[in-house]
Amino acid sequence: MTAILQGTDLSKWYGQVIAVNKVTFSLGAGVTGLLGPNGAGKSSLMKLITGQLKPSQGTITLYGERIWNNHGLFRRLGFCPEQDSFYERMTGAEFLTALLSMNGLADTEVRQRTDEALAQVKLTEARDKKIGAYSKGMRQRIKLAQAIAHDPDVLVLDEPLAGMDPVGRHETIRLVRQWGKQGKLVIVSSHILHEIEAMTRNILLMHNGQVLAEGDVHQIRDLIDKHPHNIYIRCSDPRRLAELIVGLPHVVSVRFHPEGGGLTAESRRPDDFYQRLPALMLDAGLDLDEITSPDDNLQAVFHYLVK
Amino acid sequence: MPERYGLWKGWRDSKTIALVTLDTLFWSKKTIFVGLISFFVLALALLGRLILSYQWVNAPFTPAQVFGTLMSTAVLHFLVVFVTLFYGTALISEEVEGKTITYLFVRPIPKNIVMLGKYLALLWICMVMVLPVVVLSYCILYLRTDLTPFFEDMHLLGKDIGILFLAMLAYGALFSLIGAWLKHSILAGLVYAFGWEGIVSYLPGFTRKLTITHYVQSIFPHQDTAGAIAMLIGQRTDTAEAVLMLILLAAFFLGSASIMLREKEYVLEQ
Repeated sequence: MTAILQGTDLSKWYGQVIAVNKVTFSLGAGVTGLLGPNGAGKSSLMKLITGQLKPSQGTITLYGERIWNNHGLFRRLGFCPEQDSFYERMTGAEFLTALLSMNGLADTEVRQRTDEALAQVKLTEARDKKIGAYSKGMRQRIKLAQAIAHDPDVLVLDEPLAGMDPVGRHETIRLVRQWGKQGKLVIVSSHILHEIEAMTRNILLMHNGQVLAEGDVHQIRDLIDKHPHNIYIRCSDPRRLAELIVGLPHVVSVRFHPEGGGLTAESRRPDDFYQRLPALMLDAGLDLDEITSPDDNLQAVFHYLVK
Repeated sequence: MPERYGLWKGWRDSKTIALVTLDTLFWSKKTIFVGLISFFVLALALLGRLILSYQWVNAPFTPAQVFGTLMSTAVLHFLVVFVTLFYGTALISEEVEGKTITYLFVRPIPKNIVMLGKYLALLWICMVMVLPVVVLSYCILYLRTDLTPFFEDMHLLGKDIGILFLAMLAYGALFSLIGAWLKHSILAGLVYAFGWEGIVSYLPGFTRKLTITHYVQSIFPHQDTAGAIAMLIGQRTDTAEAVLMLILLAAFFLGSASIMLREKEYVLEQ
């Protein structure tokens, strides 16, 4: 893999707060998922990559060149920021035209690329509508359009699926995969594991400003599976349920919650547990009020990994 | 190696940024406030006209005197300062608060061109907001059956507009710098315009030269209180030197604002 983007001992701090802590990485063409819970340092890393922040320590280079205050590099870079901020009075087409004009393209090319980008994100019909009147999903798509309109080699997408409807999500996932196949370096951030899994297998896992894991997403899955999952159940008779499930071979422990009238079971094979549970409860005549898995989020995964 | 950046591209990019900025600045609450100040100035002009027409005050006022007083007090020390302060400090800070600055910073444009484009927008909007007020005030005070004074004093109007433009250049650049630098930029600008300048303009000695208003007053064709005091203590700057100083100050502040924009990290609140 030829490295396009390289970070070496990269750190960024704001006063006493360390956002990125001695991170070293090297990324080549293809899609890389930047995964981490809120506050992990993903956005700060993305701002370092897009030259909005200056490294406090270490280096970050794109095509071998430093990024901070290197305006020429931005011809090859497209950035879709996380924040929902726009020049609200502009129409979608005006927004893209204005930003494309700043990329040094001729007027005819600006018009052509505006049309193409709008078509790609399916906003052609809404091109002359003011952005202020766009729905959340449309705003997300116009943000994506401004990042891809100048056909950059490197795309940095910060939470691109946030606020999109299922059709928009599906389409964006398809586009990201397509850009990766075209040989672009695409960095996509998210705190939702399955969103990233749908786009790529290659991930950079961040936690507390550090890269916790780098590589194939399935390795992360394996790591997760080594740890028991917590499953909270509230039912008509928690003690009776505890008697039934404590005998299951993959159940490690059972804890009661007297205040809520439920229990938390720890299982090493959650899929088996979910499969057996309905039959056990039916046979014992127990009524199920609630079943949730506090582990079903990335935060818990990080908790396990750093433990 | 940072790529070379041509003059033509610089002009084209600064024009695009100016147009984007102009739209944002004009359609903001600031315009309502500036509009109110403009109406206040026009109301004063109307009052002056009534005084001239009906001779409410027993003094031989001429349209030139009333126009001069209006220009030196309401327009120069009030309208111009407020317009440049409100719009100048908003150039960068509003984009940072609105988090739209990201779109400009990830384009292949040097940050000094971003600053230049924004400054051009500032000058344009300031002229749009101030020029009609000045011309209308002149018309209100001078238009009558005998049009001789109207045409005779036209050169004063032209000179005033030129001086106002110079004042806008300097104040605009200073407030752009403050806006790019400080978080509470309006407050800092108010302290400068009505604190520092207000006090120092009346003091003898070199400190007067550390204000923009000193150079503006030095070339102003009308007489006002501060100007009269300055004349009294013999501290006016030569016209050519004053014009040069205003241009140099504008260039210095604009250059500093560009450096500030280039070197400062704008951390957008999450």
